[in-house]
Amino acid sequence: MGFGVALTPFNIMMAIAGVMIGILIGALPGVGPPSGVAMLLPLTFGMDPTSGIIMLAALYAGTMYGGTITAVLINTPGESASVVTCLDGYQMAVQGRAGPALGIAAIGSFIAGTIGVVLLMLVSPLLARWALSFGPPETFALMLLGLTTVTLLAGDDPLKGYISMVFGLMLAMVGFDIISGDARFGFGIPEMMDGIDFLPVAIGLFGLGEVLYGAEQKGATQVKTSLKLRDVLPSLADWSRSKWAIARGTAMGFLVGVLPGAGPTVAAFMAYTVEKRLAKEPEKFGKGEIKGVAGPESANNAAATAAMVPMLTLGIPGSATTAIMLGGLMMWGLRPGPMLFEKNPQFVWGLIASQYIANVLLLILSTLFIPLFVRAVRIPYSILMPLIVVFCVTGAYSLKNNVWDVGMMLVFGVVGYFMKKLGYSPAALVLALVLGPLAERALRQALIISDAGIFILFMRPISATLTVLALVAIAVPVFRAMKTRAR
Amino acid sequence: MRSADRVTAVLLFALSVAFVAGALKYYSWWGSGGPGSAFLPFWLGLVMSCLALGMLVRSLKDPNLGASWLPRGEGLRDMLVVLGVTIAFVAFLNVTGMVIGTAIYLLILVRYLGRHPWWMTVAIALAAAGFNWLVFVHWLRVPMPEGIIWTF
Repeated sequence: MGFGVALTPFNIMMAIAGVMIGILIGALPGVGPPSGVAMLLPLTFGMDPTSGIIMLAALYAGTMYGGTITAVLINTPGESASVVTCLDGYQMAVQGRAGPALGIAAIGSFIAGTIGVVLLMLVSPLLARWALSFGPPETFALMLLGLTTVTLLAGDDPLKGYISMVFGLMLAMVGFDIISGDARFGFGIPEMMDGIDFLPVAIGLFGLGEVLYGAEQKGATQVKTSLKLRDVLPSLADWSRSKWAIARGTAMGFLVGVLPGAGPTVAAFMAYTVEKRLAKEPEKFGKGEIKGVAGPESANNAAATAAMVPMLTLGIPGSATTAIMLGGLMMWGLRPGPMLFEKNPQFVWGLIASQYIANVLLLILSTLFIPLFVRAVRIPYSILMPLIVVFCVTGAYSLKNNVWDVGMMLVFGVVGYFMKKLGYSPAALVLALVLGPLAERALRQALIISDAGIFILFMRPISATLTVLALVAIAVPVFRAMKTRAR
Repeated sequence: MRSADRVTAVLLFALSVAFVAGALKYYSWWGSGGPGSAFLPFWLGLVMSCLALGMLVRSLKDPNLGASWLPRGEGLRDMLVVLGVTIAFVAFLNVTGMVIGTAIYLLILVRYLGRHPWWMTVAIALAAAGFNWLVFVHWLRVPMPEGIIWTF
């Protein structure tokens, strides 16, 4: 039934338009999936809800891939789920292997997206019931785990990784406190009352910071690229090296994506960490390891698909983007929740079927356009750099149509420059800033319902497991440092 | 790097002390039945101060001076020019408007950094400003700063 709805010429056109605009939006730094969906949402109000959601869902899938393109080519993640792709994807590009990096990301995304839709269809009632049993302690424990995995990623110096993360959490404290209504650390500035948006911070840290760093190094990190379509396709060796990373990324991405609050970004970070842990040669990570691209890229696509599960079945968004889509559903007059499947079957199954189609379209369009994007990197640094800044400024501005955000972006551009020079982790900061408000609310709710203070985290099986894993993640770098010192 | 770590550690320590003090002074530690708005900031400030002290101690113990990290010469000059022109671009955004501001910004920086011929510089500036207008103003309908010269 779903394909009958999704395969009407108009809906296919919407899916193509969604994927194309999605790739473009994902590739532009600063205009990530949430702002892309938010900006296009008003355009869909004139349409039938099914066509509207098909376009938005296709757009979401497209942004996941578009973000990868800039992450690999200019080390600037177009959206936060591609932050981790920069680590190895950009190194591959520096070594002249941008093509295979993008190719494996496209194939991994396709496999993960397709399997994700199948899982969405088959196990969504079961997974939804499981996630429904999550209380604040479980939510907090999950976010704690997400944050501590960052420290495992934070490069050579765990201490600086922790500092970056805690600094991000401190920034997240700025603005209105939802529970008490206090405007924290606002200094009476109205723009500060809303809190520090992660997008201008991310654009500043990754976009402008990189440009300033590059200006000083005189474009020392110029990318060598190969233009032949043959070189774009990953070799058989690349493929066999990455196939298990793709499989693990898909499974993990789906599982993480289903959980409320933990979207593609957390999934990508966790997939990277797992690949690095499992690898026989972990020292290759961060130096152009193809598994470091394949795993997270599969995970973020699987998670983007999985994020639809709680949105459709429970009415709980799994990510910022699905939160905006949820708002769209309600504006169309649909009520998200278990009844949606019964009351609006053509809507739900049309959406699910369109996800299959969007994945096929994504694979075709992205493979066709890889050579085009690779060619774009041949632009000299002296031209590319100012253009990136223009995108950064436009992106920061278009978030809320506000010059304040652009100023914020500038400040964090300078901060990002110093972080990069001194070995801190901008990725840890951004993730902490995103998860901070959610984690704080979950922690406080957990403490409100707790009779045992913070130990409530250990008294429920799921949250206990997640918390112990988080503590292990904290302990590993500490033990490693002690071991090195003992030698 | 060693001296940079010391300076950063002291700055972060001061910041975290101020953070804790500000949280405890202005916000409530415990609200109705649960932790208040000062609760998490207090613990975060405490953890940060410990981390900063840890880094200070480590850098004091470190016998190696580490690589120099301060930018010098041409690199420093280029970095400062990019930063300065960008700040000016943002500062005058409400005067020039996004499209004209973009064109002027690109004219200056592309010419300075690349010494490309003028025709090329102008072409890049116009193309990028036009693209910006087409995507953000025309298609996505983002209300960009209009400026006082040209409104549209």
